Amino acid sequence: MAETGDRAPARSTSRGFGRVLVAVYGLFALAATARSAVQIATKFHEAPLAYLLSAFAAVVYVVATVSLARGDAASRRVATVAISIELAGVITVGAASELFSTAFPDATVWTGFGSGYGFVPLVLPFVGLWWLRHTR
Amino acid sequence: MAIMAVALLLAAWAFALVLANRPPGVPLLAGGAVLEALLIGFLIGGLTQMAGSHREFARAEFVMYLLACVAIPPAAAAWGWEERSRAGTAVLALAFLIMPVMVIRVQQVWAGPVG
Repeated sequence: MAETGDRAPARSTSRGFGRVLVAVYGLFALAATARSAVQIATKFHEAPLAYLLSAFAAVVYVVATVSLARGDAASRRVATVAISIELAGVITVGAASELFSTAFPDATVWTGFGSGYGFVPLVLPFVGLWWLRHTR
Repeated sequence: MAIMAVALLLAAWAFALVLANRPPGVPLLAGGAVLEALLIGFLIGGLTQMAGSHREFARAEFVMYLLACVAIPPAAAAWGWEERSRAGTAVLALAFLIMPVMVIRVQQVWAGPVG
């Protein structure tokens, strides 16, 4: 039986291609959470602003992952807000880290527009917002 | 090293199954179990090596990466298995594909500070 996401019932955000998208979001939730946990636990005083942003990014990824995985009406709204914040965050932090590189001595997932992660953090919010529209 | 070779072989196999439009099957899952066994060995070996070393390196980060290595394949298997389409197989393929990157990161953290 070869079923595709396009024919999945209720156009859920976690079926078909959404399955892969949630997995990628989950991976970034894990990466951002682990990274910020280490930063805050071991060297918070070195760059408090960058590490708080790192933690903020982690929260955004966790919320986006969970809400895309759930996929009900309320979760879709939460996911839209979270992914919009993610888009704003990667662009703002990406630009700030280029302009004020001394304030970002240690990479966050959004530093350099996500260059440390193959620029996936820059592409991901566009894909996420497209998917939310596509499954509406 | 063995983990990277196994992970890349599994990734290639999984991507071939995605192209063939196949849902995740038991043989692929068994391959993932072999990889997971190797990763558990990697975790134990890494922790032992760390305990025996007095060198300065990012120990917390090292442990985090090792734990993430062990956590990713079962999480991907659980999430991918639920989807009975090629998207489920693609989740496993991605998990296998990132394992070499994770192993390289572990080795980089072990070797010392990186930018």
